[in-house]
Amino acid sequence: MKHWVKTKEFMVLMIVLTIIIIVSIGNGKAFLTTENFFDILKSNLILAIAAMGMLPIILTGGIDVSVGAMMGCASVLSAQWMINVTGNIPLAFAAGALSGILLGSVNGFLVAILKIPPIVATLGTASVYMGLMSYITNGNWISNIPAGFVAFGKQYVFGYIPVQIFFLVAMAILTWWILKYTFLGRGVFAVGGNMVSAERIGFNVKKIQFLLYAYAGFACGIAAVVRTSIFGQVDPKTFTGFELKVIGAVVVGGASINGGYGSVFGTLLGVALMALLENGMILLRIPTFWQKILIGAIILAAVSIDFIRAKRAEAKKIIVDVT
Amino acid sequence: MLSNGGIIVNQEVFLQVKQVSKTFPSVKALDHVQMIVHKGEVHALIGENGAGKSTLIKILAGVYEPDLGAEIEIEGQCIEKLSPITSVRHGISIIFQDFSLFANLTVAENIAMGGAIESGNAIVNWKEMSVIAKHSIERLGVDIPIDVPLGTLSVAKQQLVAIARSLACKAKLIIMDEPTSALSKGEVDLLFTIIRNLQKDGIAVVFVSHKLEELFEVCETFTVLRDGKYIGTYPASEMDNNKLISLMVGRSVTFDRMPSKGIGETLLEVKNLTKAGNYKDISFELHRSEILCITGLVGAGRTEVVQSLFGLNKPDSGEIILEGKSVKITTPEHAVKLGIAFVPESRQTQGLVLRQNMRDNILLPILNELVNKFGLLDHKALEAESDKWIKEINIIPAVPEMLAGQFSGGNQQRIVIGKWLATNPKILIIDEPTNGIDVGAKSEIHKLLRFLADKGMGIIMISSELPEVLAISDRILVMRRGRINGVFEGETVDSESIMNKAFLADKNIK
Amino acid sequence: MYNFLKQTRKTIRSGSKEFMLLGVLVVIAFILTVLTKGKFISMANLQSMASQLPEFGFFTLGMMICILTGGINLAVVNTAAMSSIVGALVMVKIYAGGQGSAGTAIAIGMLAVFAVAALGGLLNGFAISFIGVTPMLATLATMIMFEGIGLLLSKGNAISGFPESFIWIGSAKILGMPFPMVLFIVAVIVYYILLEHTPWGKRVYMIGCNPIATRYSGVNNNKVLMKVYMISAICGALAALLIMSRYNSAKVDYGSSYLMKSVTATVLGGTDINGGYGRVMGTVVAVFIIQSISSGLNLLNVNRFLTDVIMGALLILVLVINFASSVVKNARKKKQNAIKA
Repeated sequence: MKHWVKTKEFMVLMIVLTIIIIVSIGNGKAFLTTENFFDILKSNLILAIAAMGMLPIILTGGIDVSVGAMMGCASVLSAQWMINVTGNIPLAFAAGALSGILLGSVNGFLVAILKIPPIVATLGTASVYMGLMSYITNGNWISNIPAGFVAFGKQYVFGYIPVQIFFLVAMAILTWWILKYTFLGRGVFAVGGNMVSAERIGFNVKKIQFLLYAYAGFACGIAAVVRTSIFGQVDPKTFTGFELKVIGAVVVGGASINGGYGSVFGTLLGVALMALLENGMILLRIPTFWQKILIGAIILAAVSIDFIRAKRAEAKKIIVDVT
Repeated sequence: MLSNGGIIVNQEVFLQVKQVSKTFPSVKALDHVQMIVHKGEVHALIGENGAGKSTLIKILAGVYEPDLGAEIEIEGQCIEKLSPITSVRHGISIIFQDFSLFANLTVAENIAMGGAIESGNAIVNWKEMSVIAKHSIERLGVDIPIDVPLGTLSVAKQQLVAIARSLACKAKLIIMDEPTSALSKGEVDLLFTIIRNLQKDGIAVVFVSHKLEELFEVCETFTVLRDGKYIGTYPASEMDNNKLISLMVGRSVTFDRMPSKGIGETLLEVKNLTKAGNYKDISFELHRSEILCITGLVGAGRTEVVQSLFGLNKPDSGEIILEGKSVKITTPEHAVKLGIAFVPESRQTQGLVLRQNMRDNILLPILNELVNKFGLLDHKALEAESDKWIKEINIIPAVPEMLAGQFSGGNQQRIVIGKWLATNPKILIIDEPTNGIDVGAKSEIHKLLRFLADKGMGIIMISSELPEVLAISDRILVMRRGRINGVFEGETVDSESIMNKAFLADKNIK
Repeated sequence: MYNFLKQTRKTIRSGSKEFMLLGVLVVIAFILTVLTKGKFISMANLQSMASQLPEFGFFTLGMMICILTGGINLAVVNTAAMSSIVGALVMVKIYAGGQGSAGTAIAIGMLAVFAVAALGGLLNGFAISFIGVTPMLATLATMIMFEGIGLLLSKGNAISGFPESFIWIGSAKILGMPFPMVLFIVAVIVYYILLEHTPWGKRVYMIGCNPIATRYSGVNNNKVLMKVYMISAICGALAALLIMSRYNSAKVDYGSSYLMKSVTATVLGGTDINGGYGRVMGTVVAVFIIQSISSGLNLLNVNRFLTDVIMGALLILVLVINFASSVVKNARKKKQNAIKA
């Protein structure tokens, strides 16, 4: 238990609580209502689902800036499927998931097999996917989503909880399960901790990397369809820059680029932090323009602390058994 | 004193290797070496730095492939080829100094993961891994929680986890590389108790270690290597420190002694330099025209001390006095300005930029001096300067545009030395000057160092190669476990005295 | 001076890759001319390219120097955006607020642009060299931050109201060539001299190959990296000025498409994505190639979204080709070594 207190997750939790306290003092009336809470939940579900896909990638030291573009593409493709083939809800999600997996696999191929640095590879695919999506929609909204699907998206469970919560819960549990109970997941931590030893012990690093990028695509696909269900339409312009929020949430949630450390819980906390920050700023009448500044600053602070810590640990190492 | 009294050692042979050689591009690391390990035997593999111990165990672990003609037999069965995975399957498990464990995975995973991956499943069976892990830990007779991340445990406990991992892989031979370097006395005792218990189960242990005193506590047999050659295998009952040391150092290959032409005034004074976890109370003097050698075993702290003289490793306390003035050397840039040069141990990663050409490498520290009045590089001056040093140091081939990575080891070392000579240093620190270089080239570099010293330079040389130390050192400092354990005059010293001071604490030297 | 020229000639001789690129440029220009029925080499198009190319070129130069050191500068465009907004606000306040003449407003405005950009570069440099954050992460964070600052100050709007003489920067002609192009050519020459003819430049390449060895050789890696990221930011500032002049206003999202394109041009120009190798001339030719393709697609009335697709695919293509050629090179080396042995 004492060990848990020292973890990064605990620190993030403290920050989250601090934000809650500050906002409550500033505008508790509007903040501390169930309505507000579920509002926050609904608008950040998508971020959380996408973050589930980004987490394993960051754990192995990679990155994916095509998340927004993948979501956009998956939204459009699944929307077209719904409109032209069938509005069947499970199939719609399947269509989204499949599109996402396909898009993510391209990333996986470029990074794992061709060994192209992930930042550059996904920068390229982001442009391709975004362009494709915009081309298909011509920049226009897709609003003729089948009514059945739209109705589904408007449902609530137990009163206030949006039905889409199930998808988040499912993705979170799935990601957590993969990370904890499959060799793919343990391989992620092994590779992040010590890549050479991981290969020696028998992990197939190429396969792991490839699957991770495909999984991120999968998460984006699900997030995309969830989004469509929440808003009842597809707006091609909203996906730009989304990946930055996702990366921010994962990094802020304690995932470390330096050594295979991170968790689903931490990432969810990171999402919560971003969400509360945004909501808090709105309620405290702080111009939303500050949001991006804060997100960037928090990411910079988080990674700086990470690297400083790593440096200190190195310096304290005992090299010689001095007598 | 032997400590296996009462335990009947199984005389059955587990591992037998013969005619094992390993040649690297410019060195023959092993030359027809043999070794026999019996079941349940605790066997020490000893020798100086560079004797070939680490190469041999890496071959046994399947990390290196031996040259053609090697015969490896495990439990009577002839083995064609070993790889890291097949050597484990045959029962050989190796624990390197860094343990090769994952600090961010749990103890149970570290113990059971290897075997689990082999099973080919996609899903991790935690229960099974727990069982395997618990079982291994119980066999060791210790109490370690299996569900915590490995990184939260002490180094000693992590080592026990490494041993538990070997047990989980059904190891019949566990090779340990310098296992006690990070352990306290109590932890060492615990380790040895565990090893004796493993013996009872017929598990053999090969110990690679420098700590002769400890080895006598637990080992029954000693195999000595020297310069890549097999010297002999001896029962512990017939051995003592002195005998072992003379076996390790007696040799046929020597270099002619190159004496100094006269030592000048004091150049550098180091007083009570201390850094926690690195070295303690280091004090010495360096004079002009003197070659001061710092020797000792790997891990004694030699490199850490000289790095502190070059601004790479800030000391906690102590004084450095350069030409009478007290200085605090903060960065390498500062050190270079003070006239100190450093040829590091690893020329490929620390000494050279392999992907750039020889000229650029040589001129790197002095670029600022080779500019014209506009501040731009004066290419004619660059060419002239690099040509000058290429000739002076005799770099072959004398093609400045050739990439540094394309030169041979000996010439690469010359490039590094040339680079520093171009800065006209007062003090040259050189860490393992002829590491990985063939004998002929070694001699050339010795001559070069003597020449430089005779011209007035003060040279601090770190070396693990006794012949080299004896050939050109004017004075020798022997470091042991972070301290200076002995000081000798180069003219009069002999190998055994040096080795005694390198291996043994004063009280143990007879 | 003579030796300078001799060295330059040597450089040109050794630049086989750059000549290949020149060849590619000629081929592409030819193809585009044919496809556009001559419109590509029309005066109108050439002038249009000449007005856009310099700002793109500056972004690419700024990106290139960071990649040379084994890093990257994802924030280069947003640094420009942020500084352009501050500069614009300053200019408008002084000029429209009647607090100074057009000349003063422009001068101080420009100063502001450079100052803000320099600060941005300082922040990046500090995080990367002193704290040791990987460049990708540091510049990702600052990219977001700078966009935020730009948004905050401009509230998302375009800031206009510059003195009329400001467009001089964009429309003036020196010896028949538009000023931006002249500026770019001067900058290229300065870059070339800096990188390939100064001690500092050599150190940049060395650090990109092996920062450990440079440190052990007495090079102050931190100082060099700081300067690298500041120069990168200044390139961004220059691009900002050109964009401000061209649009006669400043807005956060002007120039956003340049980030990926500048990476493409850098890699296409022969700069190793992992650092240590890259020639200024190659980068410049690559900038021309990318600009030509961009303008060409525009002339052909290709849907602008498809253009994005093509640009992205181009980056991936270049990287794949680099990978393929290094595989071939290694296989050849292995064969040679095997034959030797």
